[in-house]
Amino acid sequence: MAVQEVRVINLPHITDARGKNLLQEIKDTLHITTINHIVTAKVYRFEGISAADADFLARNLLAEEVFQQYKVNEPIIENADKLVEVAYKPGVMNPEAGSILKAAADLGVRGLVAADSSYEYGFFGSVTDADMQLILSRLLVNETVERVVHEKPSSLVIQGRPGRTAVIPIRSMNEAELMELSRDNLFLNLKEMKAIQRYFMALNRDPTDCEIETLAQTWSEHCVHKTFKATLIVGDATKKPLFKRLQEATAAAGHPLVLSAFEDNSGVIDFYEGMALCGKVETHNSPSAIEPYGGAMTGSGGVFRDIMGTGKGARVIASTDMFCFAPPELPASDVPRGCLHPQYLLRRVVAGVRDYGNRMGIPTNNGSVHFHRDFRAKPTIIVGAYGIMPARDAQKGRPQNGDIAVVMGGRTGRDGIHGATFSSGEMTDRTIDVNASAVQIGHAIEEKRMSDALLRARDQNLIRAITDCGAGGFASAFGEMGQQTGVKIHLDRAPLKYSGLAPWEIWLSESQERMALAVAPENLASLLQICHEHNVEATVIGQFTDTGKLEVYYREDMVCELDMEFLHHGLPARTMTARKEPQPVEHKEPDPPRDWEQACTLVMQHLNVCSKEPIVRMYDHGVQGSSALPPFGGVQGDAPNDAVVVAPILGKKYGAVIAHGMNPVLNKLDPYAGSIWAATEAVSNAVAVGANPDELVLIDNFIWPYPDEESLYDLDRAVDACVDFVRATGMPFISGKDSLSSTYRGQDGAVIKIPPVLCVSCFGRIDDVTATVSADFKCIDSTVVLVGRRDIDQMGGSTYYDIYNAVSPRVPVIDMRLLPKTLKTIYRACRNGNIKACHDISEGGLLATLAEMCFGGDTGAQITIPETQRPDYFLFNETAGCFLVEMDNSTDPAQVFGDVPYLVLGRTTNEKRITVCRGPNKLFTVSTHKLFNAWQKPMQEVFGA
Amino acid sequence: MKPRVCILRTDGTNCDRETLHAFAKAGGNCNLVHVNQLRNGGEKLADYQIMAIPGGFSYGDDIHSGKVLSVELASFLQDQLRQFIEDGKLIIGICNGFQVLVRTGLLPRGELGNIRATLMQNDSGKFECRWVNLRVENSNCVFTRGLEGTILQYQVAHGEGKFYTNEQTLQEIEGAGQVVFRYADARGNPTQDYPANPNGSLHAIAGICDQTGRVLGLMPHPERFVETHHHPNWRRIVFSEPHGMALFRNAVDYALNK
Repeated sequence: MAVQEVRVINLPHITDARGKNLLQEIKDTLHITTINHIVTAKVYRFEGISAADADFLARNLLAEEVFQQYKVNEPIIENADKLVEVAYKPGVMNPEAGSILKAAADLGVRGLVAADSSYEYGFFGSVTDADMQLILSRLLVNETVERVVHEKPSSLVIQGRPGRTAVIPIRSMNEAELMELSRDNLFLNLKEMKAIQRYFMALNRDPTDCEIETLAQTWSEHCVHKTFKATLIVGDATKKPLFKRLQEATAAAGHPLVLSAFEDNSGVIDFYEGMALCGKVETHNSPSAIEPYGGAMTGSGGVFRDIMGTGKGARVIASTDMFCFAPPELPASDVPRGCLHPQYLLRRVVAGVRDYGNRMGIPTNNGSVHFHRDFRAKPTIIVGAYGIMPARDAQKGRPQNGDIAVVMGGRTGRDGIHGATFSSGEMTDRTIDVNASAVQIGHAIEEKRMSDALLRARDQNLIRAITDCGAGGFASAFGEMGQQTGVKIHLDRAPLKYSGLAPWEIWLSESQERMALAVAPENLASLLQICHEHNVEATVIGQFTDTGKLEVYYREDMVCELDMEFLHHGLPARTMTARKEPQPVEHKEPDPPRDWEQACTLVMQHLNVCSKEPIVRMYDHGVQGSSALPPFGGVQGDAPNDAVVVAPILGKKYGAVIAHGMNPVLNKLDPYAGSIWAATEAVSNAVAVGANPDELVLIDNFIWPYPDEESLYDLDRAVDACVDFVRATGMPFISGKDSLSSTYRGQDGAVIKIPPVLCVSCFGRIDDVTATVSADFKCIDSTVVLVGRRDIDQMGGSTYYDIYNAVSPRVPVIDMRLLPKTLKTIYRACRNGNIKACHDISEGGLLATLAEMCFGGDTGAQITIPETQRPDYFLFNETAGCFLVEMDNSTDPAQVFGDVPYLVLGRTTNEKRITVCRGPNKLFTVSTHKLFNAWQKPMQEVFGA
Repeated sequence: MKPRVCILRTDGTNCDRETLHAFAKAGGNCNLVHVNQLRNGGEKLADYQIMAIPGGFSYGDDIHSGKVLSVELASFLQDQLRQFIEDGKLIIGICNGFQVLVRTGLLPRGELGNIRATLMQNDSGKFECRWVNLRVENSNCVFTRGLEGTILQYQVAHGEGKFYTNEQTLQEIEGAGQVVFRYADARGNPTQDYPANPNGSLHAIAGICDQTGRVLGLMPHPERFVETHHHPNWRRIVFSEPHGMALFRNAVDYALNK
């Protein structure tokens, strides 16, 4: 069938924002200045309709004559010096195609079998071939999912013949052959491969590809967390598995709000009026490293589905994002082979989070971005989601024998095959080539309508059990749901995006936006009806049994028959050794600065301190009408708050508080102290806005290099820190995730260990959002007080040391005996109205904290610092768990803070400058305006003002 | 009897719950109605006095923002919509809903199928979520009765909100007093300056009504300021009432007294 083409461009006098932005990006990031302007056209292709029908669609759907014009089957950009069209590769689902088909049908156009859309770019001016290549490779085309279109496609329909099920002769393999089978696809070690071999020897048959793949993904580090479950040998000591230690600490804390910890897709706590809150934080590093836009989207989509699949189903109320990249100005030549430039990564990851969260209608309102050169080989991408549900639906459902297995949502394609195993492997310079199929473009609207339907079904009590199809696809979802019973799945019944998938591909596909359900037979009709009303596809693909087996069929053929017992408990337990490697200890102290204004300015514009507002502005952080404390506030709306508070039950004052803490630099220097810092920073952020420390819980995310003995030693220390933190504060971890693949191995033997990251997220409940506090100074002549005890001379890992190239292995030690008391005191003071503004001290130290409070209040401040301490350390030390607060000058701090260490620093002023005195002498004065501009500049340069 | 409010939703609608809350708080009897229910006859617009098309990304905003839903409404519900307007009932489209109303032709002239204006990609080229000042203009819009001349603060959150039309239509809209909201600077004057005017709209237009004053479309989100704590700076500014409430109350009162 012929393919019809429609091209649409804006009328000549209308701004072409897409072209304008691309031109700006080319100038800013590639420094190519010879292009005068760029015209962009949207290209639509249709198969199965006439040119006249295409013209009809162009007039009534595609082009609006108020501002656009179109051509059918003809070029539309004329006389361009270079013309290129960029489209998704065949097989990468274009989310727009479904809408085009729907709208064409609504307009009465018949016979349309396939549609696609893409963009064409006309470059005017002088563009060399080399420039063009650079523009394509750096800005326009990600070869993982996109391509340059050189000729009109003859068909838009993807076809293929289904591959067959292969039998793998594993019984006859020697060790080398077993490892060859594992390499690149399975990522299992020899012991594990041999366990599989023994299982099939006992069965007296060889496995199918489906069975091997099922075992590989179920046993993958990503799914089963082997390292966290391994017994550890550290020095002379044998220690319990990391995961067990965290679980035991949580159990020992016995927190009364916890409804579900480490059991479900997310952790759940009690909220108010019969409702419960849940939280989950995920990493999505590997996919985002090779296709940041699609990777970030599927990261968001996945963590939202974790919430949707918690208990009997929850509604997502907030989303968070924490990223680590190399500095955006990194020279292109410093980017390792097979890796993408950090500026491109940053922009595209933000775009992916933006497009998924905004379309789903989830406020993305808490997050951070950290920069360090060692992330150049692989970024760290952390996405979190929080949800609300009736407390009675908070427990994970159990399928029963005879329940129907239903898959709902998107169709299955060849997307993301090997995502679970790929995430568990190290990144190499072959990663992009070998694992290109591991990424796809998310379809937020598919997930949104599925969520709408699921919540209806939950409220009508139609769901027995639910889980999301994430890494490992159907295999993981049904394999896990049927663990206690058994399940029989018919793969030929699964709706496919296109023909040609082998049974094992359907089984393992990680196509997004799918959920797996167990539904009692009597509820099936109602469920299918709700799905139909919401334009959601739902299909019966099997039944839960009582066989204790995972049975998978493709038509008549049995393609997988595994004992659930072996699948879930056959994995050989690991014992791993951790060893401390002596580190070279460097120590270089800086001289106190001569130019204080310069020091302050450099700190404020440090990438880890600077404003991230341009990113936040692109996220819809107000949707759902629940905001009670936004990420940015203050007079001009450009000053950051420490945490976010939402009131998710509309019309009620009940709040959910969300915050986080992380510091890769400190983790790298001292995994124990860095981890304590991260947890302290997370809860301090929550308490700074007025949350009650007794009503907060934690989520851990360990993003660590591949666990060799040295990294494992660090990991062990980090987990010990978490456990100690729980013991000291009573705040339990109730959900967590580890990703132990932050190592890059180049072909030339170069190894880059990405800095270890412990991200601690914190969430909890607040009984009255009107008792919360923001960070902006409210008044002139208020008292400014420092609260908490700082470890003033330990400056290792600080921003201040970084800007002056100073080093020290000694990072701030937090007084864990004092911390609970400090937190409680801050909370009470907020609650009693004694604190007008509060901001915790983190990167950039006291000075940065003070400056941000001044920005918010459009004020200045005058402070006096002690003569007994180094003034630069006093101003820039980064001990967490300490706070700057604003109090009315008639309030007596001694009455409020009692025996918690505090120091009255000074007062807020009308003059827009910060003045620092040391004893009776003025040390320096710096304009807040100047600091503000420096602080805003770095991200404005990346994202535009 | 509380007036019945139809909160229309479809795939990708995402401001439906808070829009329902705003109308309910203002005294409406609200229902979330899926467009499929209107198409299959399970629900009828005739049973409602007010229809709201909330914000979101209907059908992913594919092709153009709000386009696919506009096509659906104009293809299958044109008779119900015409009758609804003829009966003197109220329609409000917020953000994506505004885009839908313009793309059905209901705004600015109540001409189903005749698109006279558009909401284009923001001049900044970016999705923008920020609070803006809005000047309420003198118009016959029933939603803003009594608010004329005041400055309201609402949040915008959109990537395609630049109001654009040809010179003739622009003059007609201005001449007929159909401009209801304009983006304003700190002093309350209409502005073309970014970010006070977040998208570059012609004449700083943020919202318009039809000639009857009963069909309103606006890009900013009044439903995001119906509780005091919605405002980012409620801790430093005293509000006698959240700025979104009057809009919804005017609509409910109008329907009640009709």
